[in-house]
Amino acid sequence: MIRTELVKTLRRPRTWVTILLLNALPTLVAVLLALTDLGPRPGSGPAFLSAVLADGTLFPLAALAIILPLFLPVAVAVVAGDSVAGEAQQGTLRYLLVRPVSRTRLLVAKLVAVIAFVLLAVVVVAAVAYVVGSVLLGDQALAASVSGTVLTPAQVAVRTLLAIGYITLSMLGVAAIALLLSTMTDSPLAAALGALAFLIASSLLLTLDAAQTLQPYLPTRYWLAFVDLFRDPIFWRDIVRGIGLQAVYVVVFLGAAWANFTTKDITS
Amino acid sequence: MITTTQLTKRYGGILAVDGVSLDVQPGDIYGFLGANGSGKTTTVRMVLGLVLATSGSVDLLGRRMPRAGRAVLPRVGALVEGPAAYGHLSGRANLALLDSSGTGGTRRSRSTRIDAVLEQVGLAAVGRRPVKAYSLGMRQRLGLAAALLRQPELLVLDEPTNGLDPQGIREIRELIQGLHRRGTTVFLSSHLLAEVEQLCTRVGVLDRGRLVLQDSLASLQRPTGRTVVHTPDHERAHVLLDGRVEHREGERLIVRGADPAALNALLVADGVRVRELGPERRTLEQVVLAATEHPDHQVGVS
Amino acid sequence: MKGWQRWLVVALGVLLLGSIPPVLAALPATESDVTASELLASVRSSDEVAFTGYAETVGGLVLPVTQDFTDLVDLFGERSRLRAWWAGPDDWRVDELTATGETGVFHRSGASVLWNYEDSSATLAADPVVRLPRAADLLPSALGQRLLSEAGAEEVSRLPAERIAGRDALGLRLVPSDERTTIDRVDVWVDPSTGVPLKVEVYGADATVAAVRSRFLEFTPGAPDPEATWFVTPPGVDLSFTEVIDVAEAANQFAPAVTPDELAGLARRSGLVSIGSLGQYGRGVTLLTAAAVWDDLSRPLRDQLEGTPGAVIDENGVYVSAGPIGLLLTPGSRERSSWLIAGTVDAATLAAAAAEVRQIPVPDR
Repeated sequence: MIRTELVKTLRRPRTWVTILLLNALPTLVAVLLALTDLGPRPGSGPAFLSAVLADGTLFPLAALAIILPLFLPVAVAVVAGDSVAGEAQQGTLRYLLVRPVSRTRLLVAKLVAVIAFVLLAVVVVAAVAYVVGSVLLGDQALAASVSGTVLTPAQVAVRTLLAIGYITLSMLGVAAIALLLSTMTDSPLAAALGALAFLIASSLLLTLDAAQTLQPYLPTRYWLAFVDLFRDPIFWRDIVRGIGLQAVYVVVFLGAAWANFTTKDITS
Repeated sequence: MITTTQLTKRYGGILAVDGVSLDVQPGDIYGFLGANGSGKTTTVRMVLGLVLATSGSVDLLGRRMPRAGRAVLPRVGALVEGPAAYGHLSGRANLALLDSSGTGGTRRSRSTRIDAVLEQVGLAAVGRRPVKAYSLGMRQRLGLAAALLRQPELLVLDEPTNGLDPQGIREIRELIQGLHRRGTTVFLSSHLLAEVEQLCTRVGVLDRGRLVLQDSLASLQRPTGRTVVHTPDHERAHVLLDGRVEHREGERLIVRGADPAALNALLVADGVRVRELGPERRTLEQVVLAATEHPDHQVGVS
Repeated sequence: MKGWQRWLVVALGVLLLGSIPPVLAALPATESDVTASELLASVRSSDEVAFTGYAETVGGLVLPVTQDFTDLVDLFGERSRLRAWWAGPDDWRVDELTATGETGVFHRSGASVLWNYEDSSATLAADPVVRLPRAADLLPSALGQRLLSEAGAEEVSRLPAERIAGRDALGLRLVPSDERTTIDRVDVWVDPSTGVPLKVEVYGADATVAAVRSRFLEFTPGAPDPEATWFVTPPGVDLSFTEVIDVAEAANQFAPAVTPDELAGLARRSGLVSIGSLGQYGRGVTLLTAAAVWDDLSRPLRDQLEGTPGAVIDENGVYVSAGPIGLLLTPGSRERSSWLIAGTVDAATLAAAAAEVRQIPVPDR
């Protein structure tokens, strides 16, 4: 079932269009940086963007930092929101279920397919950014870590892979929320927008001091912790918490999706 | 094959299906008749485990649904409320995806099975075209092909001839009859009386959520005990038969008595010319109308 | 399983997961019968203890000051995340983490390298005589040791133990006896085995929210990796040298007038080079700092202070308080420098100090 869902994802034109769009902004940014040589002011702009002026091989990270706050979660919400509601809307859901496919397994397969999509998207963005960055911005033998120590290219490569993994896992929460909403409505758009509303609320609450007690539970709380992979030594605290939090989101929202979907009347 | 007992579905205050006890026997082509909105589709969905019953039970191939869905549904082919497919994929790819997402039907035989069903429903030539280029009729056939993919023992077809031209309808009818001859039980839900009359061996009629009739077509259409006589000499016949004529309509007389041969002999012996004579049978339409026009059906809102 | 049973399972799961953090936080800490003065002594002798840790500090102060003091505003008004590698008082590194970068202080042998990732800059500076507080000073260990360094045994009492950074920390409360201070109390929780303060809370008078809170979330005693505190200039970065690291040091070096030995009854703090024009007075947490400042620094500061709600303007100048910190800027003009006086003392003490320093002749420009 998981294989079938992966095939479906890969054979869908929308998957590739989305990935193409995700690449557009970082590439544009790289071109602008190469033309103007103007980095963002400290404390503003995405992480690593000022560092790539010195070393183009760091551009995959800057590219990920560019798509992480908005574009990637939007893509995830759209894909995950479509996963069950889209099948319901096209009518294929009833045929899957009388095939029969166990409803629980369908949910898990859908979530796995969404995560596979995220991984694919992130890897493609990083790869494209590496090529674009090295060609347009040049490279250096050694890079500086965020903490001011020296990183070898091998260390940068390993940490970039870790960052890709972490960012992929960071999207689990959004995916699970969108999947739950996707089982509640037959409209993929409504599910995606619902998940986005949740994310926007989370980002807003993160800036609010009054919401401090809530903050450790917000899905976007630890997203930027991928930067911690480039401190020296690596600062694991927030990364571990981030992964744990995403796991909790998956358990809770996939659980709710399961409770809702397995006893739901399929009338689409 | 399908047995439901007092199957009921309530949506809020609305009773969509009310105490339906279906009985579909092996070898039947069961016609499930009802107007649009009478609860046919909800019943079909409950039988397949898509909709959960408020009360009552469903046994499919002898096993309780929806619990046994995993065991019995692979042996059932279904077309529920119109076909559905992924538009960007070809018909073949759609069938392959659907087949690979569940059990029953091996992967090795998949390609040959797909070729066979595409041939069966007449889509062999367009199997590789994307489904979004298909006409409604082609989609309908693709849906049928999907239902047939694992040579099911039971076919549940909801309005299978929707969107087909008369030629297509005949092809589908022949296909169903062919499958039936090879031992497939067919449960066919339709709002078209003619379709059911031409195809089915048993009929169930659903009216506003209630099963108002369930019998074999043969017994529904058995002689009524009266004889129909067409004669140009109807006035003489009327006199001759004295009181046995229940109804007259031009040259057409309806006569009490179930022995056409004796009646014929009587009329001809008296010089009454008989143009046509035979036992009266009710049409399915008459049966259905009689069953559904029953006045005490205040179902729907409770 | 019925629908509601499934939802029940999910609800129980949420409840279970949600209750983990509060339950962990409520784990009781092991108490000890160490007396307050014993605990105070162990804190004072803890500055050689090596450790690695991660701390968060929260400042509740809104300082009404100008751009020259931006770092200070952030330090006392916001949340900072600090990583520390502490081999000893003269060999340590403290990194302040930001969402997209990091600023670090690598300190060794009387000099510091200040690293700023987003500026891609590294600056080497000798330890100045005076400087503004920086993030490393708010590390619970440094802050606690400093605040308790001059406390008398009669000023401290014990507080219940708490779980901090996974350790049982013993509580100690300092209530300053000097009546002039604006500090109501300082609560410190101390690691019993090393004497290192793990959590510090500073309260101003009548305050329910701490003016400064700082606590370790991770704390591991033991020497850090020697390489961790050693700065190697990364490629593409130039190491620059600076003589003056902030406005406090600038004021000290270039101020127009010399400060007196006693101010408002508070004695000058020893340990400072006496030729400095910036004077620090007081004892323990009752502190006062005074410096003469040129017009180019004082004019924008005066505009800012006068526009602050609650500012008091009289013949001594403009007075503003932010939590326990009081600021007073005496009148001045383009030709005549003015005095900036700040500290954790009450308004009357600041006014008395202002009256005294205004008698000191300052040169005209």
